Amino acid sequence: MGAFDHDEGYRLRVRKNAAFTWLVLLPSLLVLAILAVIVLTVFLKGVKALNPRFFLETQKPFGDPGGGIANGIVGSVMVLGIAALVSVPLSILAALHLVEKSSSFLSTLLRLVVDSLQGIPSIVIGVVIYAWMVVSLGSFSAFSGGIALALIMIPTVTTSIQEVLLLVPASYMEAAISLGVPRWRASLGILLPAAKSGILNGVGLGIARISGETAPLLFTAFGNPFMNLNAAKPTGAIPLIIYEYIKSPYADWHEKAWGAALILVAFVFALNMAVGARKTDKSR
Amino acid sequence: MKKAITPSALAAVFLCLVLGAAGAQGAVSLLGSGASFPAPIYSKMFDVYARETGVKVNYQAIGSSGGLKNIMDRVVDFGGSDSFVKDADFSKYPGTIVHIPTVAGAVVVTYNLPGSPKLRLTGDVVAEIFLGNIVKWNDAKIASLNPQLKLPNLPIMPVYRSDGSGTTFNFTAYLNAVSAEWKSKVGSANSVSWPVGQGAAQNAGVAGVVARTPGSVGYVELAYANQNKLAVASIRNSSGNWIEPSLESTSAAAAGSMPKDTRILLVDTNASEGYPICALTWIIVYKEQNYGGRTREQAKAVVDLLWWITHEGQKYTNALDYAPLSDSAVKAAEAIIKGITYGGASLR
Repeated sequence: MGAFDHDEGYRLRVRKNAAFTWLVLLPSLLVLAILAVIVLTVFLKGVKALNPRFFLETQKPFGDPGGGIANGIVGSVMVLGIAALVSVPLSILAALHLVEKSSSFLSTLLRLVVDSLQGIPSIVIGVVIYAWMVVSLGSFSAFSGGIALALIMIPTVTTSIQEVLLLVPASYMEAAISLGVPRWRASLGILLPAAKSGILNGVGLGIARISGETAPLLFTAFGNPFMNLNAAKPTGAIPLIIYEYIKSPYADWHEKAWGAALILVAFVFALNMAVGARKTDKSR
Repeated sequence: MKKAITPSALAAVFLCLVLGAAGAQGAVSLLGSGASFPAPIYSKMFDVYARETGVKVNYQAIGSSGGLKNIMDRVVDFGGSDSFVKDADFSKYPGTIVHIPTVAGAVVVTYNLPGSPKLRLTGDVVAEIFLGNIVKWNDAKIASLNPQLKLPNLPIMPVYRSDGSGTTFNFTAYLNAVSAEWKSKVGSANSVSWPVGQGAAQNAGVAGVVARTPGSVGYVELAYANQNKLAVASIRNSSGNWIEPSLESTSAAAAGSMPKDTRILLVDTNASEGYPICALTWIIVYKEQNYGGRTREQAKAVVDLLWWITHEGQKYTNALDYAPLSDSAVKAAEAIIKGITYGGASLR
């Protein structure tokens, strides 16, 4: 009876167990705490800058108080939109090929390209697009910024779409093909719709991934204190405004930089939560 | 079914918006990049210019070296620089470039000390601080110039420009002129190898670091110091007078004769009331504007803007403590602007 309590080895194991539980728990709590501190800091510092004018007005000249970041919000929407329009179709096609013809030479090459693209520092992508597009077209533009971001987005989106395509039961495709549906038709009509929700999640994650990228925009979208709706012209973007404002000496601009950071963080959070909500929906 | 339509419909609407806007937006807009030295006055001028003429001029203060690189790559309508292009470098540009002076400004020595005392410094002492020879604020060399002040026993942290900068060029050109040790050890250029200190990007970055860091000392255009209520030092000029950087002392330094191409250094002026670290800043454009598929309209917009900056635009200089161009500089600028052509024909 008492032998169990007095078993030194057992107690040691219990203690070891507790120690390891804490060892795992503490870092997780630490990560949570870091996230909480970041979000709280951005919120507390940024919320002061938020008012209707912040969203509706464009940037004011140096040192002039007031103004907003409407030009950056519109520019960011434009650049992210272009990036999504360019990267999503390419990523879907690449993922389809990777799943359907996974052992082909092209797939091996694709995998290599996607993996290496993921590892290229974003500033390098910015410089390359500067050399390719900006210099050859003779102009900085929202379009070149969108292309730079698309290149960063493609690996993320391709990988996540590929994963959800693999989850679609093989019997769907087999059934379609056995009924005489051509393979391409089956891919587009059966495989893609079955994975639609996962594809949208992948796109959402991809956009969240690039929405804060600053380096690739420095030599492409370039920034613009005026409202610009022309994709062929340089444009402002929220990360560019944060970068410009936070290193300035003006207190007013620091506050606006935090405000812009808050908008960015809220946007990324909303995207991630939308993706999370879709995922839980699906599992039910 | 409804759900499936939404994303593609959104995409279509977006595409229409982008393409539609591209077609509809007929108004001319111009792009410039470069020097951060005149960025406060440029952003003021271009804000007014957009309201008066509808022409939006987007100026990105990325540093003089960046502006020169951008105009060399022909990806901007104009470059801003407060270091002029050297004769040997003209051939690097794909076309003939011209310099149009826009304003003159003062490079001030700004510092962060408790109580913001008014310091007096000589060029030689400034050189020794940035060489790392003087490391404490209560050093005898600084104290002897400021006998009335009680200086703290605080380490000096010099702050310099990390990007290629015309402000650096003019500041180091001045130190070159007054300190033999500086000339032999460091020299003068848009970016130099600093013996001590910490780097920061653009004028705004240097002003930001100085504003935040007690004991720091940096060099920025006067407007940046004034807008942020930073302390600035009086400097002894070559006539032996203690001169505070100001609109008047900058104008005095900029009042001298002007060469036809306006490429002139203003540092270490011999004007007795002139501030010794002044500089002109230029806009750099191609003399022949018909390149890379540019329209005549675009070229005309550049020339009109340059004319406006060197004439009507000059009245905005005073509020920001820049000095307007001297009469001889305006005359020289007029001749240069009239020489800018599109397909060989003058635009003015």
